Amino acid sequence: MQEENEHEPQLVSVTRIKCSEKTLRPTIPCILHFTEVTSVTGLEFLSQPGQEKTIRACYSLAWIIERCLPLKPDTGMEADVHNNSVPLENGNLAPVDRLRRDRSDSPTPGLVEGTEPGAGQDSAMFVHAQSFEDLTADGEQEQEEEVQVPEGGDRSERGPEVEKPRTEGEENEKMQGQPGEEEQEQEEVQSGGGRAKEEDVNSEAWRRHRKHVFVLSEAGKPIYSRYGTEEALSSTMGVMMALVSFVEAGKNVIRSIHAEGYKVVFLRKSPLVLVGVSRTRQSERELTRELLYIYYQIISLLTLTQLNHVFQIKQNYDLRRLLAGSEHLTDNLLRLLDCDPGLFLSAVTCVPLPSSLRDVVSSSLQAAKAKNLVFSILLAGSRLVTLVRKKDQYLHHMDLHLLYNLVGSSSSFREGEGWTPICLPKFNTAGFFHAHISYLEPASDLCLILISTDREDFFTLSDCKRRFLERLRRRSTYQALQEALLAPSYPVSQVGIPELRHFVYKSKSSGLYTSPEIPIPYQSEEEQERLMGLYQYLHSRMHHPTRPLRFIYHCAERENLLSWVTSGFELYLCFSPLGTKALAISAINKLLKWIRKEEDRLFILSPQTY
Amino acid sequence: MLMISPRMAAGMQEKQYTPSLLNFFIYNPKFGPREGEEEKKILFYHPSEVEKNEKIRNVGLCEAIVQFTRTFCPSKPAKSLHTQKNRQFFFEPEENFWIVMVVRNPMVEKPNKEGKPPTIEYQEEEILDTVYGAVLQQCYSMYKLFNGTFVRAMEAGGVELLTQKLEKFFYRYLQTLHLHSCDLLDVFGGISFFPLDKMTYLKIQSFVNRVEESLRLIKYTAFLYNDQLIWSGLEQEDMRILYKYLTTSLFPRHSEPELAGRDSPLRPEVAGNLLHYGRFLTGPSNLKDPEAKFRFPRIFVNTGDGYEELHLIVYKAMSAAVCFMISASVELSREFCEQLDGLVGPQLTLLASDICEQYNVNRRISGPDKEPQFKFIYFNHMNLAEKSTIHMRKTASVSLTSVHPDLMKILGDINCDFARVDEDEEIIVKAMTDYWVVGKKSDQRELYVILNQKNANLIEVNEEVKRLCATQFNNIFFLD
Repeated sequence: MQEENEHEPQLVSVTRIKCSEKTLRPTIPCILHFTEVTSVTGLEFLSQPGQEKTIRACYSLAWIIERCLPLKPDTGMEADVHNNSVPLENGNLAPVDRLRRDRSDSPTPGLVEGTEPGAGQDSAMFVHAQSFEDLTADGEQEQEEEVQVPEGGDRSERGPEVEKPRTEGEENEKMQGQPGEEEQEQEEVQSGGGRAKEEDVNSEAWRRHRKHVFVLSEAGKPIYSRYGTEEALSSTMGVMMALVSFVEAGKNVIRSIHAEGYKVVFLRKSPLVLVGVSRTRQSERELTRELLYIYYQIISLLTLTQLNHVFQIKQNYDLRRLLAGSEHLTDNLLRLLDCDPGLFLSAVTCVPLPSSLRDVVSSSLQAAKAKNLVFSILLAGSRLVTLVRKKDQYLHHMDLHLLYNLVGSSSSFREGEGWTPICLPKFNTAGFFHAHISYLEPASDLCLILISTDREDFFTLSDCKRRFLERLRRRSTYQALQEALLAPSYPVSQVGIPELRHFVYKSKSSGLYTSPEIPIPYQSEEEQERLMGLYQYLHSRMHHPTRPLRFIYHCAERENLLSWVTSGFELYLCFSPLGTKALAISAINKLLKWIRKEEDRLFILSPQTY
Repeated sequence: MLMISPRMAAGMQEKQYTPSLLNFFIYNPKFGPREGEEEKKILFYHPSEVEKNEKIRNVGLCEAIVQFTRTFCPSKPAKSLHTQKNRQFFFEPEENFWIVMVVRNPMVEKPNKEGKPPTIEYQEEEILDTVYGAVLQQCYSMYKLFNGTFVRAMEAGGVELLTQKLEKFFYRYLQTLHLHSCDLLDVFGGISFFPLDKMTYLKIQSFVNRVEESLRLIKYTAFLYNDQLIWSGLEQEDMRILYKYLTTSLFPRHSEPELAGRDSPLRPEVAGNLLHYGRFLTGPSNLKDPEAKFRFPRIFVNTGDGYEELHLIVYKAMSAAVCFMISASVELSREFCEQLDGLVGPQLTLLASDICEQYNVNRRISGPDKEPQFKFIYFNHMNLAEKSTIHMRKTASVSLTSVHPDLMKILGDINCDFARVDEDEEIIVKAMTDYWVVGKKSDQRELYVILNQKNANLIEVNEEVKRLCATQFNNIFFLD
């Protein structure tokens, strides 16, 4: 690669991306504003007659490169959706009858997977791994997928489409009256400053951050840094890459560096390298899993196929050009990792709802189906209301967390219907799905995500949403749902154990967990993170790869902790430090009984499929 | 060390390799700062036959890692590096002098079908940083005990003398490192004290005083029985490493004569004299030998003002051993040794049989030894007192434990958890094998108990540990 290519990539399509990227700044997904539907070249599908309302279509840069790069990942993926059903690891697709019969009324330690409180009665909604360690074993799988995507052959086929983004970009420039390139550069700097990243990377304050995350390319080029600008850190990242390749030269793999009070963890996911520097008590494995989340976050914007492709063409490509504007997604994901137990539990939580109400919502969603619709997800904040999926297709909890993150980090979806391509990396790292994202009402917390395999499906899915809303309103469910959401969680006092401060209960077979509101002693951000840190510590000890544990009771000055893992559930409890062991034991029994009693409300027991 | 796993029975020859020492090197980055001079940084490298460029590469990586971590914390650089195949431990005992130990992860070699090379699986979670970090520090302490600091050698004879000393010491010492049997006890590096009644203790103290009074040259004395410490005049840190040397190196090498028969040629000195069983473990093996040399090992200990060089005389009668330390500036003569032998020999023999009698009485009172339901390790950070019923015998070559290695590692994990927060804690866990493991930390004391009561519940386990504390540590408070 010649030196001069560094700023002007040779790849024609990439140059075009750059121009669209400028226009569509600063957020991903980018929003195109149309006051009236016109015929925009490259966006023909918008010019259907009769759609005389304001539409804000969201495009991510990923969508644009999808059209720019001479690749057609969709072909690989669509085949996947229909043929490649992901097998359930635990094989608990047992007949419903058996599960019903086996569901015991009183909780006993012998509860096996599928009969524990919260276990779905039909089948699980998620692909779920026993624990996160399983997820790291997907390296080979990805490589296989790469092979599936035809490369050279598609080039000519996609030829005509390559032209489109340019026109689209130009159109937009005209429409929005975008100024010239130089001013754009300035804007870039400002948007960087907006993240408050300008820090002195040699200062003590920078060093004291609890958790640094760096993403770099194999050429040592900075891609992301949580604190401080990538420019200021480029030499540090260069050193990181040097360490990685030095160890690799000895046919070895660098994992981590440990020092007093902090750890440095390396994750090599070709073509990227991720590095975390943490002062938390988290173990090396937990930090690696967090880096894996960041890696998948990037994949979800680009697909692995395109990521590989970009670096194959130009090894020292500056990936920030493609990811510009997506930093806040990564920032938000890092915050989520610190405070949401679902991410380390490999589980999802749902809004407590009367099962009758939830069933109506599910069936309304089920009825609003479309040919290429794969998943319909209704969220309230970061909690699941319900999820309907295509038969034989399972959503991985990690993919769902990435969707939460996407929705949670962009306020733009509140302003209209969003339409964005998204790769669900645990489903398939090679292709994009197309997500229709919208809030049921601008002020509501209820967000509907409809995921289709067809990128031309915007209006179909918009129609699905309309039908879903109609159904909800017709059956006056909408009002009931809104009312139920006034209390999106429950206080721990409902369980009736005075010394119990907080708990997390995960049903293994359904991949769902339930947990009360964060109680008063842990409400500050710092304390909440500390509590999550304690749970993470218990989780990592319980799931140690070579010496796992069944049970931990940890008694310290500020709180007593208890965790218990059986083949059916995982339980983490936090007691006041005054509680005794005898009390803890009786609390477990009482809590399990309570969850069994409330399971209709706390879990989704009868997930639906189209 | 190679162990054949039980799974081999099925015809699949699966080989299990325990952790082993790959490299051990000492360098000073200031010694070859210019390019092309990197080799000068290396003061010692094991194995020495490694090719020069590889040595330089490995040292370079360590320098880079240390330098890199200073970006995040200038004052606390890296202590260990984890890779797929090995772990490296870094220790800077003196400014700019770095000792690095590279330990290969345990691995399983699985044979493949005809023609294909076997698959090697590295077990990356088996090595505990705390254990091997402590082993590395012990290496330095042991070097310092016999040679003083690196800087001292540099001052005396420059880099040349230092490399000579390092070569001489570590060549032998590294052969005695048995990395596969290191565990929590290495982290503590504690001293096992011999339990004794007041009368006998006073007898020993008066013995020490009398000897020091008669032989004015003696500066410090330490008294041990059955490899356990009873009295020491040294600083705690010095006694800790001296104790380690005595119990894992010196005593095991000399244990045979006591076990040998009375007429065995191994004990010419004591034949015929039932009142005098004493002999030198360091220095002359036979005083009557006209060729005998009166050279004793020299040790360096910490005193009020800097380091003090001393002769180490270890004298033993039956199970009682006494260390006498005399300033290195004094030349030790045959006369002095004969005088010491004549004075100490009979008294120590008598004292040893007194202690033995006392010990047997105590054992009878506490009842016959029956296999208890629990095993434990106790350590007190204040006086370094250590007690283990898990380790059957700690010798130079191997430490035999009576529990599964995984349980020992769980103890290590709990110890790490305790180290993270400086407050009293209790952790009770149940392993997949249904063993219960209890760790308690209170004040400066740590107690670890392994209970083999698979059907017990938390409350029963708690009761059992309470009983144990009441019988074994009745005057020590533990958080309930």
